[in-house]
Amino acid sequence: MPHLGEFMKWLIRRAVRKGKGAIQYEEEIHFGEILQIGRSASQAIFLNDIRAALEHATVTAERSGRYRVESLIAAGVRIDGSIRQGATIGAGSTIEIGTTRITMIKPPEGYEAAVEVTQIDKDEIKARDAATRLPTTLSETWLSGRRPAWILFVLALVVGLALPVLAHYASRSAGKPDIPGRSLWETGELAQAHHYFGQDCRQCHEKAFVAAKDDKCLACHGATEAHADPVKFPMFELAKADCAYCHRDHNGPQGLIIHDQSLCSDCHTNLAARTKSAQVADIGDFAEKHSQFYVNLPAWNEAGEFKPVRTSMDKRPLMELSGLKFPHEKHLGAVDGLQSPTGKRVLECASCHQPEAGGAKMKPVDFESMCQDCHRLSFDRNIPDREMPHANVAEVRYRLNEFYARAALDGSYRDQTLLPPTLQRRRPGQEVTASERQDVVSWANRMTLQRTDAMFMGNCQMCHTVTVNAGADLSNMYTVAPVRVAGVWYGKSEFTHARHETMSCDSCHAAAASKTSADVLIPEISNCRECHAGEGAKGKLESTCTACHGFHQAPYPLKQPHPVADEFTAKEQSASTAP
Amino acid sequence: MHQSILNHRRYLWLWVSIALLAVSLFAYIWHEPVGPPNGGSWLGYTLGTIGALLILWLMYFGVRKRRFRSNLGSTRGWLSAHVYLGTSLVLIALWHSGFQFGWNIHTLALVLMFVVIASGFFGVYAYLRYPSLMTQNRENATRDAMLEEIRELDKSALQLADQVDKQIHDVVLRSIQRTKLGGGVWDQLNARDASDMALLKLREAVLNYTPERPKTTGSSATMVMMVDFLASGAANDKQGEALRKLLDTMSRKRSLASRVARDIQLQALMEVWLYLHVPLSFALLGALVAHVVSVFFYW
Repeated sequence: MPHLGEFMKWLIRRAVRKGKGAIQYEEEIHFGEILQIGRSASQAIFLNDIRAALEHATVTAERSGRYRVESLIAAGVRIDGSIRQGATIGAGSTIEIGTTRITMIKPPEGYEAAVEVTQIDKDEIKARDAATRLPTTLSETWLSGRRPAWILFVLALVVGLALPVLAHYASRSAGKPDIPGRSLWETGELAQAHHYFGQDCRQCHEKAFVAAKDDKCLACHGATEAHADPVKFPMFELAKADCAYCHRDHNGPQGLIIHDQSLCSDCHTNLAARTKSAQVADIGDFAEKHSQFYVNLPAWNEAGEFKPVRTSMDKRPLMELSGLKFPHEKHLGAVDGLQSPTGKRVLECASCHQPEAGGAKMKPVDFESMCQDCHRLSFDRNIPDREMPHANVAEVRYRLNEFYARAALDGSYRDQTLLPPTLQRRRPGQEVTASERQDVVSWANRMTLQRTDAMFMGNCQMCHTVTVNAGADLSNMYTVAPVRVAGVWYGKSEFTHARHETMSCDSCHAAAASKTSADVLIPEISNCRECHAGEGAKGKLESTCTACHGFHQAPYPLKQPHPVADEFTAKEQSASTAP
Repeated sequence: MHQSILNHRRYLWLWVSIALLAVSLFAYIWHEPVGPPNGGSWLGYTLGTIGALLILWLMYFGVRKRRFRSNLGSTRGWLSAHVYLGTSLVLIALWHSGFQFGWNIHTLALVLMFVVIASGFFGVYAYLRYPSLMTQNRENATRDAMLEEIRELDKSALQLADQVDKQIHDVVLRSIQRTKLGGGVWDQLNARDASDMALLKLREAVLNYTPERPKTTGSSATMVMMVDFLASGAANDKQGEALRKLLDTMSRKRSLASRVARDIQLQALMEVWLYLHVPLSFALLGALVAHVVSVFFYW
């Protein structure tokens, strides 16, 4: 290799564009190891471009045939497309400054190094600027509208539609719903009682696009009763209304039973227009349009069967013929108590009226535990501790007879003078002769007759009404009027004392002032209206129909084909669908 | 008065929406469903149908606004209707649902709808406020004109720098190379651009620059010294002049660059909400289809 130094010869070839695409080449020679590039006149390659520094860069030819490019300014020089401070390049590489491109080329014969100087095409410069410039609008950034839109759309359909549908059809195959997703479709919580099977939607929603039908409800609720006699009231609503007309699930834990007043009042405010056989008065809001209560007053028919009479509480005179004489005032009114065999005793409501388990109604009043302490059934002053059983006439006679017979036989009767002479002072173990036996029987009979007469016509009349049956035999001598003190007063509504236990008994039952048992001490509607009013009431309890009444309470099957009702409903349906 | 999407045709679509809402409200108050109000009552089905059809029509706006030849109303009229009827959907959907919510696809559709509408509110604000801000910012120029002026300023800055010193020229050249307006999403929305830093550095360099006084040889003749001195003094004046002009040019470039950045920012703000509004409305469409099908699937 020749020694490189001042005798190094550079070929500088300039490409000059002439008109019509013709290019003319101008060549010049530069001597020296270093090729200077810049805007100064002293530079080997002069660039008349303000973007070039006076002394912008140098190219040094190296021994190996490669070139070393160095930038003389901090701004650097674009070597092979990127701006650098320096690089070692070979033939084919380019140096760009402003709009001038300097390409290293293979030196031809006689030269040690060669470059070609060209002007960069304007379009190429534009293209490069466009490629390197930063985005100036959002559409040039990574932000996209279309792709996220598609992704979200498909995702919503897969998660919200495809998965639950799959879960529906797969749910019965393995016996358990394995594919999740249907809980996404739940529009509201199921009623509490349905939770134990509610995970499996197909228990009620068997088929797709088919509403849950009554057979699904009746599978468990088959014993539900009808609302009214379908024969007497052949109404379409009663005979054919679906369960779902009133009972909609997925409305929360308490949502299955509707308490809206309108559900009842829609028909009951004008029942006469809907059915001719209606006997119930028109009912609406409890405070404004509810008739007086009808109470079941005790009564007995000709055959002696208990048949209570439904009586309006407005009836005058309103009397409870319970068969018992009992003044509450006497029993409750004594200030420091009543005289009782065991001392002074103060009576209060709870002394006789105890609620049943559950607290709905009061237990029946029990004579033996509540009354007998004071109202003794002693029948013979000679044996004051001995009492008659509180039983019917026959039983009483029988017991007394037994007692007196025994007393005659074993000599225990205190007043022996009452005994027949043959039986007086009998010693224990003494044998009884036949005639003595006769005497015992007739004496016992006589005593029994005497005592029962005394009791039934005397003591028992204190509370009971006893009539003598003239001419009847001994076993039928007296008739005690039947007694019904406690029972079901309001048979068509549900009242429970348990919800009212914070109140005192006398706030509803005027017992303290009642002098006779003919007083009906059961409260009527104005008493309840002191606290209860209808739907939307202000200042009172909102009590709609379902607060006291049930719907399914007529003892007829809910869904049963009935010729009258079905014919009626068929007629109605054809009338409604007729053009 | 300036016609905008809100007062288009004397608030025609506002009145239409109010009428629709009034009728729906009246129906909602008067209707007594069996149980609590819900989407399955006859009023619920009616409002649901109205809502679903509204959603489909609202999404169709994307098609209409791209049909430049269409004469079916004006695009501005369609947008006015889109905004008002879209807003009324909030109440229509709430009344349809009977205010029942849960962790399910139905409430998901409702929530997606709310987010879409909320993003639309921002869009209305952007469309009403930003165009006039953009016009003020541009001061009767266009963005291209501003960019062209910046290029011219670059050239004259280089020339002025050249008159001061090659060091300054170098600094200016580097600053120009590094100045790029625009950027990624965050940069565009925050009116940030790389030119800020480059210009700051340049300003520092220029302010710290003190022209080198040529050394005067101690034993030179006074005349030479004076000539030298005069020469250097005169050169200093010219350099000083060029330096002042360079600083002016830089300031002008700085203000232009920040105006361009603000222009980019305002346009980006006017567009960015659509990247939420449109994809979410497709998510809503999917959820809506799932909601409607599921309601009839498990009727």
